[in-house]
Amino acid sequence: MPRLTARERREGYQREYAFQQRHGKPFFPHVVFHDTIVSLIVVALIMGITILWYAQFGAIPTDPMAERTGGLLGPAYEAKADPGVLGYHPQPDWYFFFLFELLRIFKTPELLIVGTIIIPTIWMVLLIGWPFIDRNPDRRLSRRPIALSIGVMVPIVLLTLTFYGSKVPAEGGAASTEPGAAAFAAGACSTCHVLANAGTAGNVGPVLDEAKPDYATALALITNGQGSMPAFKATYTEDEISCLAGYVATWSAAVGTTPGPNAATAKDYPASCEKAGGLFAGNASSAAGP
Amino acid sequence: MSTLLPPPKEIAMLPVDWVEERSGAISFGKYMLFRNVPKDISWLQTLGSALITVFILQATTGIILAMYYQPTPETAWMTIQWITNEATLGWLVRGMHKWGSSVMVVLLFLHMGRTFLFGAYKYPREMTWITGAIIFILVMGMSFTGYLLVFDERAYWATIVGVNINGTAPILGPALSYILMVGPEIGTHTLSRFYSLHMLVLPSAIGGLIFLHMLLVVRLGVTSPPWSRMEPTERDV
Repeated sequence: MPRLTARERREGYQREYAFQQRHGKPFFPHVVFHDTIVSLIVVALIMGITILWYAQFGAIPTDPMAERTGGLLGPAYEAKADPGVLGYHPQPDWYFFFLFELLRIFKTPELLIVGTIIIPTIWMVLLIGWPFIDRNPDRRLSRRPIALSIGVMVPIVLLTLTFYGSKVPAEGGAASTEPGAAAFAAGACSTCHVLANAGTAGNVGPVLDEAKPDYATALALITNGQGSMPAFKATYTEDEISCLAGYVATWSAAVGTTPGPNAATAKDYPASCEKAGGLFAGNASSAAGP
Repeated sequence: MSTLLPPPKEIAMLPVDWVEERSGAISFGKYMLFRNVPKDISWLQTLGSALITVFILQATTGIILAMYYQPTPETAWMTIQWITNEATLGWLVRGMHKWGSSVMVVLLFLHMGRTFLFGAYKYPREMTWITGAIIFILVMGMSFTGYLLVFDERAYWATIVGVNINGTAPILGPALSYILMVGPEIGTHTLSRFYSLHMLVLPSAIGGLIFLHMLLVVRLGVTSPPWSRMEPTERDV
């Protein structure tokens, strides 16, 4: 492809610009007309979506703390945020699905940073620096095969990631009757993790049946969190965390009723579950504490 | 008597002339309105102005929402509920703000795609592209900070995951998470920090960049489509 000198480039632009100024059309009314029509359509579209959203709301709930349900376009609002709430599937707004899907692809602790930091940073650098990467002076698409293929690839990749990112986890099976299983299945754990014994199918975090964390690892992770996993030390008591960690260590990759390979390390299990009590009742406290 | 007064048309022009003499605003406005743009620019090149419209819409609905919304864990969700259920046309204002953000992201993608296909980021318009790309990233930041403010279940958990993603960055990550949440947990200060970012820091940054972006567009001229005749022929010169 031809390389222009800086002077040729500048003069080329100036010549073209002067030519277009001379043979152009005034901004008003031509461009103003087009812009006004499109802006009106866009505002009408936003209003239309809003009215459709509103039209599908259910009645105002009698319980003031309940969510107000909706139809196709989602509820008016969900129930008030509650850190202790159990079994919620976290999902971002649709335009973050592509990042959310990266999180799922690189879900193991060692690779997590690839999905959360490395790839998004590369994308941002490429986006901002693109004019310095594409040095081809020609603007006609027929002379820009590489740029054109990138321009087709990027939306395909983003739409694919968005599509898979929008999928909610499959319904899990039934939880076993082992101590801690019901709490695991009903709790925040189930939203992100697969654990056959608890019948959960969350697809955000590592598959525990494969990761097989030992007791100490599970205890540290539940207590303090890591990567995109939240810390639960404010949500659960020590006994409850110990119970969950013991349960995960014992029953991850368990075959039938035989405890898994890390069972021996799960100290205090299942005694801690008895101390913690049934379904960890009364834990949804301090939801909004400062 | 009538000879003492100038004709009515001149009286009407007095304030206009006064402003023009002191600021040049009138001739600037005339230049902006009647400057020539390439003959063959078309409907494809209306997305930028549509984005400005949506930005103004978001600012206006945002200002109205800010009059009722209270960013504390106790009141945030209650005020959203009140705006949606009780306030006159509150659902419309909140709904247009909510859906306006989605439409804005879609329009940004289309605007960027159009710029890409037209090769409109090439010399001498590199800076226009860079300001636009930064606006794009900041708008994503607007979406992220706005999400928590509703303070429902979805907002809460999505924000935790989002903040933890920042936390995975090497060295700065944990500090960044801590700064975003103002502590290890989402609480009162997290909400007010997100609120301040969402309605003061990011919008003013975006507004400033939009101004710069448009200044560059006017200075460098709108890009004609790549299929238009690029060079003057002998007949034109």
